[in-house]
Amino acid sequence: MSDGFTITDEQRDYSQYNLEANPFPYSPVPAENPEIFCGQQHVTTSISSTVSSVLSTGKSKHLVITGKYGNGKSHTLKYTRSLLRDREDVVVGYVAQPGEGFLDIYHEFVYDIGFNRLQNVAYEYLASITREVTDVNPTGPEAMRSLIDEGDVLLSEIVPEAIRQLSNITKFADFARAIIHMVYEDTNLYAWQWLTAEGIRYEQRKEMEIHSALDDDTMGVRAFTALKNTLLALGYTGVFVFVDEFESIARLSPKNEQGTLNSIRHLMDQNSSGLCMLFGCAPEVWQDVMSEYHAFSERIGREVALRPLTSEHLYELVNEYLDRERTGNTSDDTVQPFTEGSLDHILQRSQGNIRQVLSICSRILDSAVDEKQSHITADFTRELLIL
Amino acid sequence: MLYRRRELDLPHGELQTPVLFPVRNIGKRSSDNTPSYVTTIPDFSAAMINARSIRNRKPMWNRLMNGVSLREELDVPENTIVFADSGGFDFVSEELDTTPADTLETQHQLKADIYGTVDIPITRENRTTVNQRRINQNIQFALEASDHHDCDAHLLASVHGYDPETIRNNIRYLEKHGTFDGYALGSLVPIRTDYKKVTKLVIAARQATDKHLHVYGLGGLVYQPLLLYLGVDSFDSSAFIRSAGNRNYLIPGFGGEELQNIEDMDMLPCPCPVCGQRKLDDIREDRNALTQHNLWALATELRRFRYIVESGRDVEHYLDLRFQGNEVTQRAYKIAKQQVRGLA
Ligand SMILES: [Zn+2]
Repeated sequence: MSDGFTITDEQRDYSQYNLEANPFPYSPVPAENPEIFCGQQHVTTSISSTVSSVLSTGKSKHLVITGKYGNGKSHTLKYTRSLLRDREDVVVGYVAQPGEGFLDIYHEFVYDIGFNRLQNVAYEYLASITREVTDVNPTGPEAMRSLIDEGDVLLSEIVPEAIRQLSNITKFADFARAIIHMVYEDTNLYAWQWLTAEGIRYEQRKEMEIHSALDDDTMGVRAFTALKNTLLALGYTGVFVFVDEFESIARLSPKNEQGTLNSIRHLMDQNSSGLCMLFGCAPEVWQDVMSEYHAFSERIGREVALRPLTSEHLYELVNEYLDRERTGNTSDDTVQPFTEGSLDHILQRSQGNIRQVLSICSRILDSAVDEKQSHITADFTRELLIL
Repeated sequence: MLYRRRELDLPHGELQTPVLFPVRNIGKRSSDNTPSYVTTIPDFSAAMINARSIRNRKPMWNRLMNGVSLREELDVPENTIVFADSGGFDFVSEELDTTPADTLETQHQLKADIYGTVDIPITRENRTTVNQRRINQNIQFALEASDHHDCDAHLLASVHGYDPETIRNNIRYLEKHGTFDGYALGSLVPIRTDYKKVTKLVIAARQATDKHLHVYGLGGLVYQPLLLYLGVDSFDSSAFIRSAGNRNYLIPGFGGEELQNIEDMDMLPCPCPVCGQRKLDDIREDRNALTQHNLWALATELRRFRYIVESGRDVEHYLDLRFQGNEVTQRAYKIAKQQVRGLA
């Protein structure tokens, strides 16, 4: 077995191609915060128009992005999320897949927002009450936290008023208490567990004076709506929910599938403002939903389909990735060391599937270095892909 | 370790802390009065009294208003340090019948050295909104007391809350908005079996202020070393009276022992002035003797702790041994130790 692995920590040298490193992801899993969007103009346009409309009018709007496995649905959703995350006036949550029902969607959404963010929402809310009932003017969560710590404001003066007003806004007193309990170190984990619908013991609920359990889809819709209304009251423009792999609802029992769709429908009906849901879904499942659950599909304004890559898209995509690691000056619009012939071949092999394209490019570039190729030709590509 | 020693300069003399204020039931109708201890136990030249019960006991109050001093009424030397609390604990079940100004006036008339501000206790059984309201009210009472307070006696603001944020927030708020010589943590008796909670609250208070810190009602045999370790400056206890009433004999390092369990013993395992010369049979029937012994037990506990510190021994090691016998208190101490170390 002398011909076994060669393991070395020696770095490959990509400088002959004017590259710092291999820009293509080794793993075909979409990056958490992708920096490159392999734009399909019509998709970008649809998403932009939906998102912009929510941002500018405050009215809710939703969109389904269909596309076959590997055509970049997750990538698209995550890319959109990464763009929106920079805005301070929105909250974005990514749901990797819908799970068993709406409660799971809600759970994933709150989880994606995260403990710290939700705790900050609580501080922001207390800050708004503080500005109202005292003559102190905290401007953000950190300022509020320090006012409490330093005793500049009195918790027992603000908290009851905060709970009262938030209960009014959300029409959900238990939710209001849970949010406010996010600021107490002794109860914030219980509050978080309740808010994420993980379920807590009766005694833990009692300590926060929370009466209900957040344990079914109806409560999930209520809690989601309460959270969104809290955020709007704080001046946020909108809440964005990205539900990926929506096609997996097809594996639910018909009753559960209908239940999930109904809950989402209720959610949309109860949130005519400030809500934007983007779904990533396989086209065949979306077809079924459209034909069988009319009440649901008609509430989603639009559908846009991700198509397999064309060769033009592919050049653009490869070019963008290469640009990230370019060292020297190369003329624009070049895919060097790839040749057009090699890319055509890659397109053919991957059938336009972006995930595959990226992983093939990554592999070929490494091999070209190893085998000291000056260019990546169609022949070299063909040989390598046969192996 | 947060243990600390201080000296308070009070109207009736100087007081070394940490110190225990044994509760004197003077003025209370329902319970027997505390036997004398002030001259017999040198560690306890101080007492905790309830300003409200004395004020409400007409004949006694009249005597006090006609020239008899409180210390005469208590049968203690004039230099005895007296801590007058507002009697707030009674407001668990009774209507609030005083104001911060009235209570202050009573405390002043009693010539107390330390005043506790009027407070309404909270309990875990209350709805949290009720507790929130009371917490807020207690803060307002304390601030009113601060406004009216203008003598040499020390004013301690009573602070309540069942979470560290509230305690910290209350103390720092009072620090900014009033003038106090220290703070007194209340409402801990109803949650005393939740050692973890109590420990957290005490640490939060200790961190929020460098001033005098008193803990109401937890000066019993188990809590005393724990509170010393947590840097509490004073505490009070009536456990020695109640225990005696139940024929419960306190033994440092062991806790309480029901006398009926050791009936066959001739002499008790304590060399204090009460037990040293007298036989068990004799002491059993003498409730005052039992009470006095129990106070000696508390004094012993305090002296031992000081000894460990002064002799340069490892306090944590001592407490490891001290709490070894009882799983619950052992866990409590472990939690306290973790939290104290976490502060380092
Ligand atoms: Zn004795």
